Amino acid sequence: MQPKNKAKIIYPSNNKTSLTSGQRLSAVSQLLIDVDDATVKFGSLTIIDRLSLGIHQGEFVGLIGPNGAGKTTFLRAILGLQELTSGSIKLSGATMSYIPQQGAQYNAIVPISVLEVVKLGCNGSSNKALEALQSVDMAETASKRFNELSGGQQQRVTIAKALASNADIIFLDEPTTGIDERSQREFFALLKTLQEKGITIVMVSHEVDTVLTLVTRVICLNRTIVYDGPPEHFEADKYLPKFYKERHVQLHHHHGEMHA
Amino acid sequence: MFSSITTTEKCMLEIFDYSFMVRALIAGLIVAVTIPLLGSFLVARRYSLIADSLAHVSLAGVGAGLLLGFAPAIAAIPITVAGALILEWLRQKQKVSGEVSLAILMSSGLALAVVFSNLARGANTDFSSYLFGSITTTSWNDVILLAVAAIITIAIIVINYRTLVHIAFDEDSARIAKHRVTLLSYGLTALTAVIVVLSLRIIGGLLISALLVMPVVTASQFAKSFYQTIILAIMTATIAVTIGLVVAFYAGIAAGGAIVLSALVLLVAAMILKR
Repeated sequence: MQPKNKAKIIYPSNNKTSLTSGQRLSAVSQLLIDVDDATVKFGSLTIIDRLSLGIHQGEFVGLIGPNGAGKTTFLRAILGLQELTSGSIKLSGATMSYIPQQGAQYNAIVPISVLEVVKLGCNGSSNKALEALQSVDMAETASKRFNELSGGQQQRVTIAKALASNADIIFLDEPTTGIDERSQREFFALLKTLQEKGITIVMVSHEVDTVLTLVTRVICLNRTIVYDGPPEHFEADKYLPKFYKERHVQLHHHHGEMHA
Repeated sequence: MFSSITTTEKCMLEIFDYSFMVRALIAGLIVAVTIPLLGSFLVARRYSLIADSLAHVSLAGVGAGLLLGFAPAIAAIPITVAGALILEWLRQKQKVSGEVSLAILMSSGLALAVVFSNLARGANTDFSSYLFGSITTTSWNDVILLAVAAIITIAIIVINYRTLVHIAFDEDSARIAKHRVTLLSYGLTALTAVIVVLSLRIIGGLLISALLVMPVVTASQFAKSFYQTIILAIMTATIAVTIGLVVAFYAGIAAGGAIVLSALVLLVAAMILKR
């Protein structure tokens, strides 16, 4: 007899309580997310296949892999936005925040102000929202329309929204796509500062070189885990599938030409 | 005192001598507050076409009411709310593409409306007032029903304002924050259905989505925030409805057309000013 599929995300009883900053710094190795045998299928297509891993407090995880490797699906499954076909994800009760590509969702035809975007993270508290904007050096833009900001500024504002929600874990999905190089560097530096303050960061990115210099742990995904370990032991040639490596080289070549 | 009143003012005051105009103005002003308020959330969610589809479904309900001898609104409300809930379900479950389901619902709604109204002999004149709006046919019952629905709608939006803004702009993040996204999404769509049905008399089913979208786009030219957009959209709609009703009264034309054209003039003016 086939065992019955179990597919569930297990929330703690009090999932609204975020960790205090003291807890964040002292409990560096606390397990926040426990993924066990997670599988997601769309019809007959397997997107992620029997994936198991744990994410701990204070980690900066770089999630890399080719297009269609299941990175975004995996993030969405952890966030409860994608149902698992089988397996389970246990969450510790830490507050989670999700930053998709370049704040596109706030660029609707109807304007929303920077302050209003950040207030979404803190149940409408203007003081808390302004504090969060100050912490990412964006307080002077509070009354502007969100879509008047540059891509880099928009991503700083979405980080402020995450901070306003007292996020313990911030998930980012290719956050610097379409952002100029200088803004990218500043944005990555901001993420590093947040991680040093004890906030856990999980970032999907195609900027492999940058990811390797920034993160404390690399997870290379291609439906299942290809590599999971420290960035210094990650060998791009060995773990990245050939077509992804070629694309990476092409991008670098193109990039080099542009700067030549 | 009256000697200082100009001819134009006399003409304006003359409107209030007619009780049907008083009813039309009250109903129009309720519509002018409620529809752009709903419209701001719907346009932000890229739901503009949903209102159009619901308006067409509501016409099918009106046709069914005329055919079966019910009060058209009584028949149209449950049918339109059911249509709204099915649309929201299709969208949430991603069963079919949004565009396709809207197109099917819109054309089926209008087809049913035409067939029902043809079968309901002698009711065609009444039906055309639901298509394009009519100031003479709005009864006190219509006004009272509309006022009650508007108060309920405004109260629900005010109470759930922050969550609705969160859902309108960032549904994923609202789900992660454990807001009642599904319930409020169904609720907002159902409220839109009810308001659409009750506004048919004034604006008309074929023109109602214009009042839902145009004032919001006009307001978006100048607003710096979502809150400002709502306030400016309501102000724009109030001006458009007032001008439209007065023009409809003096020119003897359908109220819906006059209101929507007024809204269009304001939108074009806003776009020119913004350039």
